[in-house]
Amino acid sequence: MRATKRLPNLATAIVLAALVVLPFIVPATLASQIAIFATGALSVAILLGAVGLLSFGQGLYLGIGAYVCGILVRDAGMGLLSALLMATLSGAVLAGLLGSVIVRRHGVYFVMLTLAFAQMGYFAVLAFKGVTGGENGLSGLPRQFDLLGLSIADPLSMYGFMAGAFFLVFLLVQRVIASPFGSVLAAIRENESRSEALGYPVSRYKTAAVALAGAIAGLAGGLHVIFLGFVPPSDIELEMSQRLLVIALIGGIGSPGGALVGSAFYTIVSETLSEIWPRWLALIALLLIGLVLFLPGGLWSVGRRISALFERNTTHD
Amino acid sequence: MTDPILVADAIDVRFGDFQALSGFSLSVQSGTIHALIGPNGAGKTTLFNALTGVRKPSGGSIVFDGHTVTRTSAHRRVHYGMSRSFQVTALFAALTVAENLRLAVQARYAAEGWVFWRSPDRRRDIRDEVDALLADTFLTDRADTRTGDLSHGGQRSLEIGMALAGRPKLIFLDEPLAGMGIDDVHRTKGLISSLRRRMAVLLIEHNMSVVLDISDRITVMAAGRKIAEDVPAKIRTDAAVRTAYLGSTA
Repeated sequence: MRATKRLPNLATAIVLAALVVLPFIVPATLASQIAIFATGALSVAILLGAVGLLSFGQGLYLGIGAYVCGILVRDAGMGLLSALLMATLSGAVLAGLLGSVIVRRHGVYFVMLTLAFAQMGYFAVLAFKGVTGGENGLSGLPRQFDLLGLSIADPLSMYGFMAGAFFLVFLLVQRVIASPFGSVLAAIRENESRSEALGYPVSRYKTAAVALAGAIAGLAGGLHVIFLGFVPPSDIELEMSQRLLVIALIGGIGSPGGALVGSAFYTIVSETLSEIWPRWLALIALLLIGLVLFLPGGLWSVGRRISALFERNTTHD
Repeated sequence: MTDPILVADAIDVRFGDFQALSGFSLSVQSGTIHALIGPNGAGKTTLFNALTGVRKPSGGSIVFDGHTVTRTSAHRRVHYGMSRSFQVTALFAALTVAENLRLAVQARYAAEGWVFWRSPDRRRDIRDEVDALLADTFLTDRADTRTGDLSHGGQRSLEIGMALAGRPKLIFLDEPLAGMGIDDVHRTKGLISSLRRRMAVLLIEHNMSVVLDISDRITVMAAGRKIAEDVPAKIRTDAAVRTAYLGSTA
């Protein structure tokens, strides 16, 4: 009981420290990308970690968030926060609608449905060229934003904003996991039919979790667009869904802190490797295989093992 | 006699070509222990599944406490006051014993499960109720044990505790004593017997001495049909039952 109470506080401190240190280790633009994809990976992590649902299509919600934010900022002249709020809502609404259908299927059928809807989203973007810009995406977004009187234009202030957004989502996810709602999700993950037998409306809970994950992905999409200054169609491609899943798995889905570790690792490694070898994704694949085989808890669990070691030592004293 | 809490009329359940239950009727009085006995494959668990909403019957009707629940979902029936324990232990193995019970108590408060902004610990009333259930099921000293690490008898007790947490009007117990040691059997028998003051009990159990001892009424099933129903003293001497089920050992 005590350990579970102390651990989240420790995790929060580590994540906060990492966010502060990050722009001093890597260029600020890279640091921003790390924060953005960490946010996206949180949407995968909450589904897989908290409810045990494997989504291969979180890129769809990241994509819709990206387009909604891009269009509202460019064509409707909407401000930063309200556009991001709309991106979040669009992810939540789309995920809630599709989720209410998807959650009725289990296991591999669930995964296939997430995949199929993600593909449909990509083709929809290509089909409605007039709105989405098709393969060219949407460009011409403002490069400078106002946040409550502060200007966000240079790479460092941009990073500050992205890191802040990630941290808020991180706190929210941590809070949700440790709440009564989170305990029901854990119950569903452990034994779905027993949860139903206890009287929990399982489908409704799963739909709510899918909608929450969609909201987080939608926000990540909006953040990405603000950071890039344009909407790349790659945001809604299947590769995005894949990337979020890989980041979440590398970091570890057992704790929301894993998303940041996974994103930092993936982003830095891909940046470094892609300069050396154009087929760097093959190395990421090898790495993922190794991780799944030898470290199923992801990179975050390394820290947990070390802290468990410490705790054992202190209780022995 | 009071009104029956549960009336099932002419229930049919089929799996493909196999007729698991045919025209089965059952009525359970409130405040009584009603046992279902019969050889393996007689359809006892199938009947439980039909009555609790796990498997919808293909024919017949079920009325529970004034509600027609024939086609009602399992979780809705729980809110009407049905609760069950499982034959094959179905607990949240990775969670602690106390957390299993807390989830079961929390399920009764429909809104509590949607609370996402605070810790579950803030509900003192739920915690107190969990403590009482731990005591009822003799699990107080194992509250923080991971459920998967609990002894078989302990898991069976927890199964009953989980069902009790729903504060049901009718509790379905599917072989609650199966695999229990002699001490556990004795304590659990006492627990089940004491339930009749608070609720009706529908019991599937193979331990005949316990069934004959604590039941108010016994229904004997074979091949998806009812072959006898009476008070224990009559069932003990019923010729048809003896040949069909009890054999020469009774």
